[in-house]
Amino acid sequence: MDVFGSLASGFETALSLKNVYLCFIGCLWGTMVGVLPGIGPLAGITLLIPVTFGLDATGAIIMLAGIYYGAMYGGSTTSILMNVPGESASVVTCIEGYKMTLKGRGGAALFISAWGSFVGGTLSIVGLMVLAPTLAEFAVKFGPPEMFSVLLVAFVLLGSLGSGSFFRTMPMVFLGLLIGTIGMDPLTGSLRFTHNITELYDGIGLLPVAMGAMGVGEILIATEESLLRIIHKVKLRELLPTRDELRASWGPIFRGSGIGFLIGLMPGSAHVLSSFVSYMTEKRMAKRPEEFGSGRIEGVAGPETANNAASGSAMVPFLSLGIPTGPAPAVMMIALLIHGISPGPLFISKHPDVFWGLIASMYLGNVMLIILNLPLVGIFISLLRIPFRILFPVILLICLVGTYSVNTSTFELSVLLFFGILGYFIRKIKYDMAPLILAMIIGPTMELSLRQALMRSDGSFAIFWDSPITMTLIGVSLLLLVWNIYRGVRPTKASWEKALEEGS
Amino acid sequence: MTRDRTASLLFLAVGIYGFFYSLQLPMGRWNEPGPGVFPIALSILLLVSGVSWFILGRPRGADKDLREKVRWGDTLKALATPLKITGVTALLILVFHHAGYLVSATLYLFVLLFWVSRYRFIVSLPLALAIGVGSWYFFHKLLSVQLPKGLLFL
Repeated sequence: MDVFGSLASGFETALSLKNVYLCFIGCLWGTMVGVLPGIGPLAGITLLIPVTFGLDATGAIIMLAGIYYGAMYGGSTTSILMNVPGESASVVTCIEGYKMTLKGRGGAALFISAWGSFVGGTLSIVGLMVLAPTLAEFAVKFGPPEMFSVLLVAFVLLGSLGSGSFFRTMPMVFLGLLIGTIGMDPLTGSLRFTHNITELYDGIGLLPVAMGAMGVGEILIATEESLLRIIHKVKLRELLPTRDELRASWGPIFRGSGIGFLIGLMPGSAHVLSSFVSYMTEKRMAKRPEEFGSGRIEGVAGPETANNAASGSAMVPFLSLGIPTGPAPAVMMIALLIHGISPGPLFISKHPDVFWGLIASMYLGNVMLIILNLPLVGIFISLLRIPFRILFPVILLICLVGTYSVNTSTFELSVLLFFGILGYFIRKIKYDMAPLILAMIIGPTMELSLRQALMRSDGSFAIFWDSPITMTLIGVSLLLLVWNIYRGVRPTKASWEKALEEGS
Repeated sequence: MTRDRTASLLFLAVGIYGFFYSLQLPMGRWNEPGPGVFPIALSILLLVSGVSWFILGRPRGADKDLREKVRWGDTLKALATPLKITGVTALLILVFHHAGYLVSATLYLFVLLFWVSRYRFIVSLPLALAIGVGSWYFFHKLLSVQLPKGLLFL
């Protein structure tokens, strides 16, 4: 079946009453978690995993994906109206968005942000629809050496795209890989780092680690600060941008779509990075760059488009290669595994209904989100009136229930707390937890591919430069490694890092 | 101590533990790598990172952000609330199965609201009861999430 035929059958699946409802719930919940600082898409997805147990795989992934891209829409609202990013990818939106609010143009910033998110999100789904099946078809031919080479590139990219420097990110990657080895060795059955604790035989669960490090850790940090919030009100008629603002936004929206899509394909903090790169691109291309920082619409349009485009393209490696590029896709992958479906090269050919149903639902979800985020923005803003002193115990309780519900295990609650404390400590010393989590997820596949490749070649490393694919990938990872070492030895701040400093 | 040096201690501690544990695992041969190869390689990389950052993380140099000293006095003061939350959460985990969700979650919320958020008793108690019972109804009854029954058999 061609792309359009498959898409038509996808729409047939997505437009069933049940799936439309699930898509709506996902988008609504995603917008809510995006609006609320302290709960990101990761926590939002994890919390609804237990709900998916009673659903089929298509319904489950439609709802969880809705939360993922819905959170990107919602994250900008608090950045624009309160100067508080609801989601890490919306940090850069604070710079221009909040200044626009102070100038009385907050409504226009919200409109352009939602419109850009819609365009970026929709274009990235087109990219996902075209690229994922092609990549999966190509990846079917991958054996252990090719898989190891792909993962090697992913790891070097993780080092360079993390929010810290390469030399500070790599130890976190090693730590994540080491944690990933805990449990039973898949090839020999030997137990590693288990200390006779039976709960560790299957390894450490990703959910408690991710929820602990990103959710509980974030709360512990947030409770150190007093959160004084000033919420600016926006009337419906103030939402319409002027003709000049609309004209100025088109370029950034299309450039943001391209930037976001490309960066979203890479592992690491893609959402955050894509919005920063887009912001810097717009600043460089502006006729009057000195006006940036005083409320330019281009500085809202570009980054908000880019982080939505990145959320669409992040699904490409996750669905076609089985490599999640961030903690949120990783949790979605777990949800699919719970339903007996393994994302990877064979996913699209084995489960076309799930894949095309998801694609069609994403088109639908983007339309729902633009409706939810423009006329109904006031309803979401009212969520922010709940005092943080009440909100944080509720978020903690939700994290605990979300973790417990997957395996009904109190041991996993201890893991959650342990990684919460670790996440707090790591944040305090300004290191990044995301590479650790990603390394932990991809690590077991990387180890297995390396060992299988060496067994196949009778111990010869020449297997990694026997085929053009592995040779190219190993070459790319070596080049990236050299570039990163050079950058690490001669540290110069990236333009987006400077932009953040200027903005804050 | 600088932030980098603090991080280096974590890398060194995990690296040393990983290294000595991995030594007990079979290493195999190149044509059949054993379960110890990957962990020992990672432990060595962590040890190298730890030693490097311990040396490079001394309190001078260009990258001031991460080489600035961790002010332990301020840190300990700021730690009070996270420590309270961690302690209360650890207690909840201990009693979760035995007391059941409804009892333990309500108590947990009450302690956090009263002790950490510093709401008055007459505010904390009804709030904890409302959220505790409401969340139990939402998760257990509406979403069919398996929660421990405990004391109230609910």
